[in-house]
Amino acid sequence: MNFFQAQDDARKKTLWLAVLFTAAVLSLILLTNLLVAAVYVWTSNYARPEQLNLTGLLTSLPAETWLLITVGVLGVVGVASLYKFLMIRGGGRTVAESLGGRLLTYDSTSSPEEGNSRRLLNVVEEMAIASGMPVPPVYLIPENSINAFAAGFGPDDAVIGVNQGTVELLNRDELQGVIAHEFSHILNGDVSINLRLIAVLHGILFLGMVGYGILRGVGHGRRTSSSGNNSALPILGLAVGLLVIGYAGTFFGNLIKAAVSRQREYLADAAAVQFTRNPDGISGALKKIGGHYEGSEIKSPAAGEASHMFFGQVRTLFLNSLTATHPPLDKRIKAIDPRWDGDFPVVVAGVPTSELAEGASGFAGSPADPDTAAATNTAISAAAIAEINVAADPDQITDAVGSLNDRGLEAARALIDSTDETLKDAAHDPYSARGLIYAILLDENEAQRDRQFSHIQSNAERGVPAHTARLHAHLANMDAPHQLTLVSMAMPALKSLSHPQYKRFISNVIELIKLDRKISLPEWVLHRMLVKELRPHFEGPRRSRPRYGQIDQVAEAAGVLLSTLARFGHDDAAARTAAFKAGAGALELRRASIELDSAEDPNFSRLNEAVRTLSQLKPLAKPKLIKACAATATADGHVSGLEGALLQGIAAALDCPLPPSIYEAAGNTAS
Amino acid sequence: METIIVLVIIAALGFWLVSIYNKLVTLKNRFKNAFSQIEVQLKRRYDLIPNLVETAKGYMSHERETLEAVISARNQAMAGLQAAAADPANASAIKELASAEGALGGALGRLSVVMEAYPDLKANQNMMQLSEELTSTENKVAFARQAYNDQVTDYNTYKQTFPPVIFAGFFGHGGDAELLEYEDREEMQAAPSVSFN
Repeated sequence: MNFFQAQDDARKKTLWLAVLFTAAVLSLILLTNLLVAAVYVWTSNYARPEQLNLTGLLTSLPAETWLLITVGVLGVVGVASLYKFLMIRGGGRTVAESLGGRLLTYDSTSSPEEGNSRRLLNVVEEMAIASGMPVPPVYLIPENSINAFAAGFGPDDAVIGVNQGTVELLNRDELQGVIAHEFSHILNGDVSINLRLIAVLHGILFLGMVGYGILRGVGHGRRTSSSGNNSALPILGLAVGLLVIGYAGTFFGNLIKAAVSRQREYLADAAAVQFTRNPDGISGALKKIGGHYEGSEIKSPAAGEASHMFFGQVRTLFLNSLTATHPPLDKRIKAIDPRWDGDFPVVVAGVPTSELAEGASGFAGSPADPDTAAATNTAISAAAIAEINVAADPDQITDAVGSLNDRGLEAARALIDSTDETLKDAAHDPYSARGLIYAILLDENEAQRDRQFSHIQSNAERGVPAHTARLHAHLANMDAPHQLTLVSMAMPALKSLSHPQYKRFISNVIELIKLDRKISLPEWVLHRMLVKELRPHFEGPRRSRPRYGQIDQVAEAAGVLLSTLARFGHDDAAARTAAFKAGAGALELRRASIELDSAEDPNFSRLNEAVRTLSQLKPLAKPKLIKACAATATADGHVSGLEGALLQGIAAALDCPLPPSIYEAAGNTAS
Repeated sequence: METIIVLVIIAALGFWLVSIYNKLVTLKNRFKNAFSQIEVQLKRRYDLIPNLVETAKGYMSHERETLEAVISARNQAMAGLQAAAADPANASAIKELASAEGALGGALGRLSVVMEAYPDLKANQNMMQLSEELTSTENKVAFARQAYNDQVTDYNTYKQTFPPVIFAGFFGHGGDAELLEYEDREEMQAAPSVSFN
């Protein structure tokens, strides 16, 4: 499925979720009323025969009681959902934290015994860069079973949570399969529905949870007091009633999950195979869940309502098939590996399963998949990447949005491998990551650079200026795609700053950009990236609702963006006009028409405004815009790495992650 | 009708309490996560110090006391770190770590002063590298400490605001978390000064 289609589906599913939720609440109200009526009829001394059918039961209750019950159920469900919704407003990391997750950093995994966690970070980073997404923070969940999840409202606030057991028991290929599965959830917009689903499920399941709580409390009280009076009986009746309603809630909850998320597990499994071109990875992981005595079970009580966002089934209760959040394991495995004989491997904790040394850059393709080996040869090699261009085909670039394949993985690996080690280390460390960003922002002009540097010296934390100077030397001659990769790599480290540290960092970034009195387009892209990805993390995710279904509605904003791009890559007026025309043509405007803005210097506040407007386009209207941007940039047939990075940056600002597989080594047109 | 209103109010109150509880837990988790960042950097620092002392020994055999003081302060701080890492919410453990760190800083400071009299040692390649690493780790510790202290302040402040202040104790968040505070040290004498060029 295409990225834009998936996004659109996800958006429609959100609406569908609201409809199902309403239906579930109405059914719960009806059921509660029926239950009360049944008790009322049976406990009253006479039961008239006409009361023993459904309408009879319903009319036996006085209108006032009806109203009472309806308002009561509505109130409880509403408050329970609202409460949960307020809680998850903090985004993905709130979920990981409520499950007791520990933030993994490269620093904390530098010891040899943490080598498996380091491998996890590498796998996540590779996958993120391969898909053109910011690298998400990774949380380690202290559970021994094999499971993982992705949570967040979108790629900007998404986090990945992985169980300790997953890290220890899976080998690199299997881990990669699981992470690819989670990335597919992020890219397809499933995570945002899943987060909302938490709130909805909490509301529906809450009455049952109260019943369960009362039942346990009463049982406990009985045992301790042993007074044996009958005063607990009505409470017991209430509890049992609530439990019945709770089961009904579970039923509706599963119906909603089935309608909204369960099918997406198969899709994500399939996507994992597509991303990694290695069916053995994901199926191996699923088989190990089957063979592990703890399976994928999560013990934390907070996992119940988050169960649908995990990789595998979270609860293994006696009502397994009824309360399943995921398709059965054997069906999922069969869907990937039809030749599977049904045997699960025996998985024992403490037995190392990783046979792959970390750091080896070679792709461990399975023998059954000769394509992988071939792909390694035709892909961009680290040596050839020194001069990179972009495939000059707008359609190809548009198709690449949000897609991930083995070629993208190879390109990402090549980008990562050919990046200076010192710079990578700096990007991974919260302390020096700031120095790195400052260093990237330093101007080429020496006088300007000195002014910027003196600003850093008086405004950055102790020791940071030294880092900036040191890293700047390493950055010499680095091309834009590598710089962008470094910024993406630095995201988890920057997200671990405290709030005051973040404020200081961002204000320094803005000063550095302004100090040279001239804002350049690359600076603008870098700033957009930082703000876009850090602000939701530190100030809570903000959702802007997609408003425009047609490019025509935002033609002016599109004109501003295309004018900027046309000016940037082309020197003379004729080339600019031609480039702009190419882009405008790709927009296929029906009513509106746009003109090239011929001003020499870009107006960045207008550009910001334009991007803000354009990001509110509905998903299905976006491919045309991306194609138009690509057409403008590629109009002269020559697209440098810098232009490619600009395209990536602009696409990211429009929530359309563009993978580095768009880059091609100069002179190498292998497809 | 009244019963329903009462029930809804009770439910709302319950949720409100649970949300306070959850927020406390979240903030606590955050400062614990921040502490693990300090832990990494401090460990790295404690690993560097024996090498530093070993290198210095060759040049300054007459300063055994100073060197031994550094080692014993380092061992003390290491024990303090282990206790604090086991439970960063334990205020007295954090206090102890802070004072042990202060003592270690003092011992290193004295070593630094003594080193002034040994220009050969200061010029030693190995020593220079160690000092630089120590200084840079020092900066990282200061930075991680700042992040930790910010998170602790967030937690303590939330605990002291009006509604949570009533329930925090009941929810097991009685005592304030302790800030990790001590004087920042001067840079090591032998560390080469970095200039931008």
